[in-house]
Amino acid sequence: MFGTLFLKECKQILKSMVYYIYVVVFVMFLTSQLSGEITENMEKSQPGLESYGITNSRDKSAIMEKALAELVMETYNNSYATYPMGFYREVTLNESELAKITSMIENCTGKNWEQVVEEMETHYSNYAQNSVQEAMQAQTAYSVIPLEELSYDDFCDIMEEVCDIIGGGSSYQKNLLDRGVAVPMTYEQAVEAFESLCTKDRVTGAIARLFCDYAGIVLSILPIFLGVTRCLRDKRAQVSQVVFAHKISAFQIIGSRYLANVCMAFFPVIMTAFVMQMPYQYHAKTIGAAPDLFAFLKYSGIWLLPEIMIVLAVSFFITELTENVISIFVQVFWAIASLFSSVYLEGNFGLHLIARWNVLGGTTEFWLQRQELLFNRGFYAVLSLAVVALTVVIYEKKRREGGTVYGKIFKGRK
Amino acid sequence: MERYLKAESSFILRQYILHLLLAFLFCSLSGFFVSFRNLEAFQAAKVMEMYIAFTGIILLTPLFMPEQNKEIWLLKRSKAMPMWQLYLLRILTAVVLVAAVVTVFTQIMQRNGSDFSMRQLWIGSFAEILFLGSIGFFVSAVTNQVILGYMISILYFVVNIGSSRYLGKFALFQMMKGGYDFVPIMLAASLLLLAAGVLLRERIR
Repeated sequence: MFGTLFLKECKQILKSMVYYIYVVVFVMFLTSQLSGEITENMEKSQPGLESYGITNSRDKSAIMEKALAELVMETYNNSYATYPMGFYREVTLNESELAKITSMIENCTGKNWEQVVEEMETHYSNYAQNSVQEAMQAQTAYSVIPLEELSYDDFCDIMEEVCDIIGGGSSYQKNLLDRGVAVPMTYEQAVEAFESLCTKDRVTGAIARLFCDYAGIVLSILPIFLGVTRCLRDKRAQVSQVVFAHKISAFQIIGSRYLANVCMAFFPVIMTAFVMQMPYQYHAKTIGAAPDLFAFLKYSGIWLLPEIMIVLAVSFFITELTENVISIFVQVFWAIASLFSSVYLEGNFGLHLIARWNVLGGTTEFWLQRQELLFNRGFYAVLSLAVVALTVVIYEKKRREGGTVYGKIFKGRK
Repeated sequence: MERYLKAESSFILRQYILHLLLAFLFCSLSGFFVSFRNLEAFQAAKVMEMYIAFTGIILLTPLFMPEQNKEIWLLKRSKAMPMWQLYLLRILTAVVLVAAVVTVFTQIMQRNGSDFSMRQLWIGSFAEILFLGSIGFFVSAVTNQVILGYMISILYFVVNIGSSRYLGKFALFQMMKGGYDFVPIMLAASLLLLAAGVLLRERIR
């Protein structure tokens, strides 16, 4: 019976306009983001270049230099990034607060604020700011040297004071500083990164990660509409009571609907990933690497499937509970907030709904953070099953009592 | 006049109230996610364009929700009041609410020491929020599916985050870059979408 219901649900989804918009938007978004230029970055580095990209460093002096550089830039622009509820919030300070911050910078560097600004402007004037690549290089190469006698602990204490002025969720908190900072990569590091790309990632693994990064953004939003559409379909067609009266259990009804939606939402993801990684299999062979033919399947399954599962589960739950479209707003808000809350676009997965790895490669760093990603995705997979179980309970309650859960209060009134 | 008020209050109390509450909640929570203090013009524009813009979708998209049900639609059609008048009344309510939201937030920012041209930001935000909402309104009108209205308007917002350069004068987030040329075009497009939504809806059905 479950299988029959599952197939019926799949056929229903195939008749839905929302599903075709889902597929078209997903494919268009991915093809526009993953262009053929990617392979240009997939070559062994030559010695003597100006820049080899960036890498993460947990060296304490590097952390102090880069944190100070960021603080100088933010103070100069009077625009501070904070994450008070885990979501991005821009803070602008008044004159007296700015004066306190500049005095702290002066204490850390032993230079007056005008001198620090002058050095910063001189540094940036060496790069063409109308070119994105040069602007990025300028930012990567910019650092502010602290006083020699300033210890890391004292520096962190000063940064805590900075946090107090800027407000909650500032990026100068000690636990965030300890995670390391982006520093320019050396030639040796670049060669090592290329070797890892070829041997550990086998090229297609790195491509699959980049695919998952972009796909994760749209998949935090698109499946919401599939879930809401499905849950409201019975109400719209005025057949809720007919379905309620069926002998079949609530678990089978909700379970088959949920599973069908997960499968149908995941199917275009797998197909797009499969088609898009094919040219890179060929490219891997041309640079002497043995491509991992199933990388797209492994990464999509671990990275994207739990995301689809949780987005659909929450949309099922809220829509069954409220019988309204409110889930769209709650979840779009969650998705956009998650997108803007990613301080780092390479890892630091935490419990973010959207797991970001917006770089081709970064193999060694990724493998260091792999456990965190697995925990994140595992958490969402388990949570989605729990939310579906709750949805079954709510559906069963509605079935027994013949209506909406929240509407019961009003039903009792005379 | 009385029958117009009765029709509109019935719509608000029976159908629109949840969306009003949602818009209110969304605005009330804004302090947790955006700062209103000491903002420069582009930062104030960012608050309006990246956050407050959603109220347009919340307030304008669900205006045809009751008539999605064919029986309700037939019942309403059988009454003396023409459908277009009913829809126009709802649009006016939503537009007034959008204007109120824009006024409240521009005032909050100005009173918190932000420095921007009130007139410019007000009209720019109003045009952009109205435009975003009218996309949802139009799509839900012609497809008779409010979910599709939300989907397309939200996707339009998301597409603008990375690809606004391809959308010319119809791109969102232009005030953040200091551009205000879009205002007349976006206002005209909003009016067109709202009018077309009302006209096409009844013809298609």
